[in-house]
Amino acid sequence: MVTFIVRRLIATIFLLVVVSMVTYAVFFLIPRLAGQNSYQLATQYVGRNPTRAAVLDIEQKLGLNEPLWVQYGRFIRGLAFGEHYNSGTSSTYCPPPCFGYSFRSQQAVWPLMVSSLPVTISLAIGAAILWLVGGVAIGVVSALKRGTLFDRFSMGIALAGVSLPIFFTGLLSLALFSYKWPIFPNVTFVPFTQNPLLWARNLVLPWVTLAFLYAALYARLTRAGMLETMSEDYIRTARAKGLNERTVIIKHGLRAALTPIITIFGMDLGALLGGAVITEHTFSLNGLGQFTILAIDNQDLPEILGVTMLAAFFIIIANLAVDILYAVVDPRVRH
Amino acid sequence: MKRRGFMGLAAVGAVATLALAACGGGSSSSSGGGGGSGGSSGPSGFNAAVTGVVNPSNTKSTGTLTYGLSSTPDSTDPGNTYYAFMWNFTRLYTMPLMTYASSPGSAGLKVVPDLATAPGTVSDNGLTWTYHLKTNVKFEDGTPVTSEDVKYAVERTFDRSLFPLGPSYYPLLLGGNAAKYPGPFKDRSKNLMGLTAIATPDAHTVVFHLAKPFADFNYVAAIPQSAPVPPNKDTGANYQLHPMSTGPYKFQSYQLNKQLTLVPNTNWNPATDPQAKQLVSKITVTMNMNANDIDNRLLAGDLDVDMAGSGVQAAARAKILSSTSLKAQADNPISGFLWFAYLNTVVPPMNNVHCRMAIEYAANKTNLQTAYGGPFAGGQIASTVSPPNVVGHKSFDLYEATTKPGGDVAKAKEQLKLCGQPNGFTTGIAYRSDRPKEVAAATALQQALSLAGIKTTLHGYPAGTYYANFAGVPKYMHQHNIGIAFGGWAPDWPDGYGFFDFITAGNTISPAGNTNIEELNDPVVNDLLAKYGTTTDEATRNSYTAQIDMQVMKDAGILPEVYAKSLLYRNANLTNVYVQPYYGMYNYAVLGLK
Repeated sequence: MVTFIVRRLIATIFLLVVVSMVTYAVFFLIPRLAGQNSYQLATQYVGRNPTRAAVLDIEQKLGLNEPLWVQYGRFIRGLAFGEHYNSGTSSTYCPPPCFGYSFRSQQAVWPLMVSSLPVTISLAIGAAILWLVGGVAIGVVSALKRGTLFDRFSMGIALAGVSLPIFFTGLLSLALFSYKWPIFPNVTFVPFTQNPLLWARNLVLPWVTLAFLYAALYARLTRAGMLETMSEDYIRTARAKGLNERTVIIKHGLRAALTPIITIFGMDLGALLGGAVITEHTFSLNGLGQFTILAIDNQDLPEILGVTMLAAFFIIIANLAVDILYAVVDPRVRH
Repeated sequence: MKRRGFMGLAAVGAVATLALAACGGGSSSSSGGGGGSGGSSGPSGFNAAVTGVVNPSNTKSTGTLTYGLSSTPDSTDPGNTYYAFMWNFTRLYTMPLMTYASSPGSAGLKVVPDLATAPGTVSDNGLTWTYHLKTNVKFEDGTPVTSEDVKYAVERTFDRSLFPLGPSYYPLLLGGNAAKYPGPFKDRSKNLMGLTAIATPDAHTVVFHLAKPFADFNYVAAIPQSAPVPPNKDTGANYQLHPMSTGPYKFQSYQLNKQLTLVPNTNWNPATDPQAKQLVSKITVTMNMNANDIDNRLLAGDLDVDMAGSGVQAAARAKILSSTSLKAQADNPISGFLWFAYLNTVVPPMNNVHCRMAIEYAANKTNLQTAYGGPFAGGQIASTVSPPNVVGHKSFDLYEATTKPGGDVAKAKEQLKLCGQPNGFTTGIAYRSDRPKEVAAATALQQALSLAGIKTTLHGYPAGTYYANFAGVPKYMHQHNIGIAFGGWAPDWPDGYGFFDFITAGNTISPAGNTNIEELNDPVVNDLLAKYGTTTDEATRNSYTAQIDMQVMKDAGILPEVYAKSLLYRNANLTNVYVQPYYGMYNYAVLGLK
């Protein structure tokens, strides 16, 4: 198992390097291939009607006039060893992993991303618990009560959940429960450490909205998995042995049906931790998703690069966790 | 058993949800609903805040004034910002030498002393401007403001690698070593207070030595860059996180690009700063919000001000305009912004003025107005380059923009004959493809021109790189035969020079980031702008505004489309609400709460 984890970690680093190279190329190499020079690139990062000296100053400061491999090398060095940045009156050390220095806000990227993380983590984890518990529970009950009114109703709702985009359900929930009937007014992120109740209250609508989409998907997946598993021979054998129904369903049925759910859960959670872009935008939550939108709007390459690599990191780590969990849930993997 | 478990879970969830809903408190204390009445006194109704003060009051409130912003500031550092809403907002925590009179109507276009005791006095040769500072202005820590703090504030803006976003007027205008001065950060022992063009003969006098006369210098002094910065408190690029306040409020906390909180500055003296007020106990700005969410919160009374000041989105606009009570709390001012198309004077055959005139006549101004959002959200059909809220503006209509807003194809064809292109010609139209209004305007113009035989190809570019890499690069425009480019313009100050210089002066044409995209280099315009710089007599200067405007229209270098307007919503809970005409948005320096 240890060898497996070490191997996966090495592959993770390799993947992150590839992601960084591709992102760098997309934002720096392609404009150059399209004929833009470093002066034109620098013009994006100064105010309107700049003097030529101002553009040249910023071109030099951002290192845009250097060969691409030098710029990229500096970025990788910062990631591994940190970097010193001159803020005018002092030199600020940006410790590793230093994702560079924002072209727009003149601040190190890593602390900016870190300040966005609590929002995204709160949103993703809360919604994940809701959709996992809700989705799996509904899926199991639907499978066991196949063909009943509950099954039909819940699967109908699930179909709606999968079909309706977040920007629709999000806006609808805001319109009803925030603007019209202010049960959850002023949806704004409040840190958990500052006021746990307000933190939770303000996240209820985003959690429910996000969870509605995923829970629907998980309910359908769980139902299908349970139906298939419960018709297996070993379930019949378990019942024939005289095991009570609860043990049969939870220990034998659900455990087997959960395997594909764990796979997709890891992927979904990993992707969400990289920024729930639409949910954050709909509810005006300043997490990594909003950070990403702003970075793209501002053509702020270090920020784009940073958030891309962080998102890739989350997905890769989530995959790793899934692989390890597999071994726990499915004994065949262990052997 | 299982049913009971499931229902139990649902019940627990429902109870928890209700409990959470009940126990959390909103951060805003302004609870005024969207449908409330105007104020205790002052005008009310639609456009009431355009010409008068709605809910005038000097009563202090213990409430929190909440702002929402769908974007982020370029910077909160007064030396590094160019956004109009930030110039408006910085008045809450800075005192530049000059500022705009806090007043609705045309009085608000007047530049008045702020940190200075009086407007700058200019020497006979026009090269020296002297300002005397008020003697009892203090920073938030109680330290008195001196002339050296003003000199240093200007000095630091010369380091463009640290402060690239603000205007460049000081390096362009000042004499002495200004052309080569690197700012006070590089080789600090030598360069701190090393800008020779600014003298500080005593603690309350600042003298600016210019390289050439510039009669608009008082306007330059009204840009936040002249707000004092104490050298020992300057943290360079990090100063944006906590600028030292001289205004009515100071920074309590700022999470960059997310949340800003201001609290009253106890060392602020209202007697020294009559253009601002300190009426609430806290101001919060939530940044990077969803624009529609901002509108909905405004209408619900959960938010007090949309900080961008550019008006509500389409959904809220429809709601406001269809409701008598909501409309009574809205204002529809001219923002000072012009939407227009540059008509390139170099790309053939548009280097012939008659071909450009053909475009002026053929354009369907009504369709362009609709494309920009109609008469409320788009603007008023424009017949001149300068909008009505530019000092010295005179109304005229050379190309029947207002008398034949649907376009005059017959006259366009006449001009095409004079141009030697009786069957029309082909050219390109550049526009920002991620701006739906501009896309619609480009399409509308293409259709209108086709009626006169002018064939156009559409070239859409991203807004972020539009000026840097495409429309603002003359070489690119020439190579791709693009003769028309969409744009918008608001002046750095509201007089003729401020409006016209960067978009019409021949000496502003630059290889990238160009804003004189029509590449106009008319000696008449250049001469008038040069004279503007040396003329101090107000009536003469105002006459230049109209003359330049007329000449640019005769040159047909610009196709004016609309004088931009925006639909602003006034929260009923606000006091001292009026549109500051220079900013085209509510004056943030004086707002209070009931």
